[in-house]
Amino acid sequence: MEKVLEVKELTKQYTKVLAADKVSFDIGKGEVFALIGPNGAGKTTTIRMISTLLTPTSGDAFVMGHSILSEPEKVRECITYLPDEAGAYKNMKGIKYLQFMAGLFCSDLDEIAKCIERAKEICKLGDRLNDKIGSYSRGMIRKLLLARAVMTKPDLAILDEPTSGLDVINAIEIRKTIKRLAHEEGMSFLLSSHNMLEIEFVSDRVGIITKGHLMVTGSADELKQRYNAANLEEVFERVVKQNEIH
Amino acid sequence: MKFINLLKKELSELVNFQMLIGLVATVAIFMILGGVMKTTIDEAVDESENITINICDRDNTDFTESIIETIDAVNDDPDSNVTAKINIIECEGEDYSAILEDNDISGLVIIPEGFTASYEKMEQPELISVSRMTSAATMSNMDMGNEAAIDLIEACISSTIAEDTGMNADQYKLMERPVILTENTVVDDKEARISPANIMSKIMMQNMLLPIIVFVLIMMTSQMLMTSISNEKIDKTLETLLSAPVSRLSVISAKMLAAAVVALINAAVYMLAFSVFVSGATDEVTETVSMAAGSSLTVDQALEQLGLNLAFSDYLLIGLQLFCTIMICLSVSIILGALIDDAKNVQNMLMPIMMCAMVPYMISILADINSLPMVLRVLVYAIPFTHTFTAVPNLMFGNNMLFIGGLIYQIIVFIVCIFFSLRLFMSDKLLTVSLNMGQKSKYKKKNKKNSAQDDEE
Repeated sequence: MEKVLEVKELTKQYTKVLAADKVSFDIGKGEVFALIGPNGAGKTTTIRMISTLLTPTSGDAFVMGHSILSEPEKVRECITYLPDEAGAYKNMKGIKYLQFMAGLFCSDLDEIAKCIERAKEICKLGDRLNDKIGSYSRGMIRKLLLARAVMTKPDLAILDEPTSGLDVINAIEIRKTIKRLAHEEGMSFLLSSHNMLEIEFVSDRVGIITKGHLMVTGSADELKQRYNAANLEEVFERVVKQNEIH
Repeated sequence: MKFINLLKKELSELVNFQMLIGLVATVAIFMILGGVMKTTIDEAVDESENITINICDRDNTDFTESIIETIDAVNDDPDSNVTAKINIIECEGEDYSAILEDNDISGLVIIPEGFTASYEKMEQPELISVSRMTSAATMSNMDMGNEAAIDLIEACISSTIAEDTGMNADQYKLMERPVILTENTVVDDKEARISPANIMSKIMMQNMLLPIIVFVLIMMTSQMLMTSISNEKIDKTLETLLSAPVSRLSVISAKMLAAAVVALINAAVYMLAFSVFVSGATDEVTETVSMAAGSSLTVDQALEQLGLNLAFSDYLLIGLQLFCTIMICLSVSIILGALIDDAKNVQNMLMPIMMCAMVPYMISILADINSLPMVLRVLVYAIPFTHTFTAVPNLMFGNNMLFIGGLIYQIIVFIVCIFFSLRLFMSDKLLTVSLNMGQKSKYKKKNKKNSAQDDEE
């Protein structure tokens, strides 16, 4: 399988905390990879390093063969990033926001128009796109941001807690969209989430990270089998406790 | 193309309905104030030329009657542009409030009984002046009538005494104004036949405008950029923006340019509004004062003669210094904006910039910085904004070295500030550093759950 992302011993040392310690994994084309772990485990730090927002202390990651260290501009052309609990410009209309973001990824006006059409289809906000974002509900903002993240058809979409704070219906819609885009359009996703049910439903492979160490990776079924667990939640609990003992 | 896209977004964020309403309101307020001032001054000038004198003669002698007739004769003097309307009021007692109210007047001069007798005994006769005060406003209590009446009565008595002692008209005139003062003002090697007080009042009025514009510019550019960066950081739109295929330099340049453009528009509107206000309030007074002082030159002519008018090149230099000032504000604001993790902290972080603008602004209004004690002068000059406030006087009075020194100092401060701010903006610290002002911030609470680097903060 063609590798979209290769993470090689990515490490981030803050003054007092080792936030990520030699994290290595890869994501294939059309694959949904979920990074799960307790609070402060290093998920967001790892994601931010891959998104070129933070510089790793050591190690490297390659998106479509481009190094995050030596070719960050090229990496940014291949990825989109949706931060956890991200907002949008409240005084901007939804449609203007999509135009603005599309303009950062594409130079051609036709391409921009295509991106916006695609975003409109994905977010299903209809006429509300002509309203200011300040008047949107949390679910609507998240849908708009997800549509923004996938409208440019990136090679890798990085979504930090894509459904956090959303009601069940909105969360299901977003999960279905991610799965459809991965399997039908071949888009790759790197997700982070606390919701094990969501992870089992949406991801092809899972990586469990705790205290900066990526402990295990594999499909949900493989991990359940390996840890003799009934569900991913039990796997998660055992991996985290195992790490605490060590 | 991408930079234009970023710039358009920044401008649309800054130029909103509230800002436009604020600008229109500012212009309207200043114009109304200017109108009010002009009307009040016109009324005062008009009142000084058309005086109403209310006089009550309780002595009723030939002498007091002749005094009142002399006052009335002012209207017949062809050299005087003053007209006096004399109201003879009949009143008794000392209930002055009731007297003013009954006669519907605001001022009254009473010649008491025994006035002539005192004069004849060569004792100082008593004159009673009653004025109603209606408010604390300077202009509203200006009743010229009583003052004019007292002056005229005094002059009348003086001339009577002069006549009695055998003094002729020329001698009396000489006694009244023993010297003719010819005032000259010298600036460097140039001189003009005008009073320095007139020059100073005109310069003060001209220079009043620039410091206010500088102050508005400093505050607005800083606040706009700080709010823009901190809002993006708090809402995490900054992370989205920085992960897009645009350079960080483009992101920050677009923010800086948009803040500078909007601040300049604001400053221009403030300048226009304030100049309307100032011209309404002061121009007429300056010219009136200068002409009344008997100068052969107008103040503008005198300024030109003294070389105090600024040349085009001077305006270019002032523009350059203003540009440096804005750039310093912007570069400092990047650092401060990146440190903010709560929208409420914008005002707190604005304080250092506000103090750096306020101190030289106040000092430049109240005193000449060059005349301050050495230590204080060095401290004040160490504030980069001081040089912007002193730019006009320095250029006006030919202190070119001081101006150039200030400009070079500002350029050095800008280079240092922009170096550190760009370093911060290009580094990880932009997303990880924060200055918690003793309260749990929204940003911190949001991230506490999820990201490891919050342990760092």
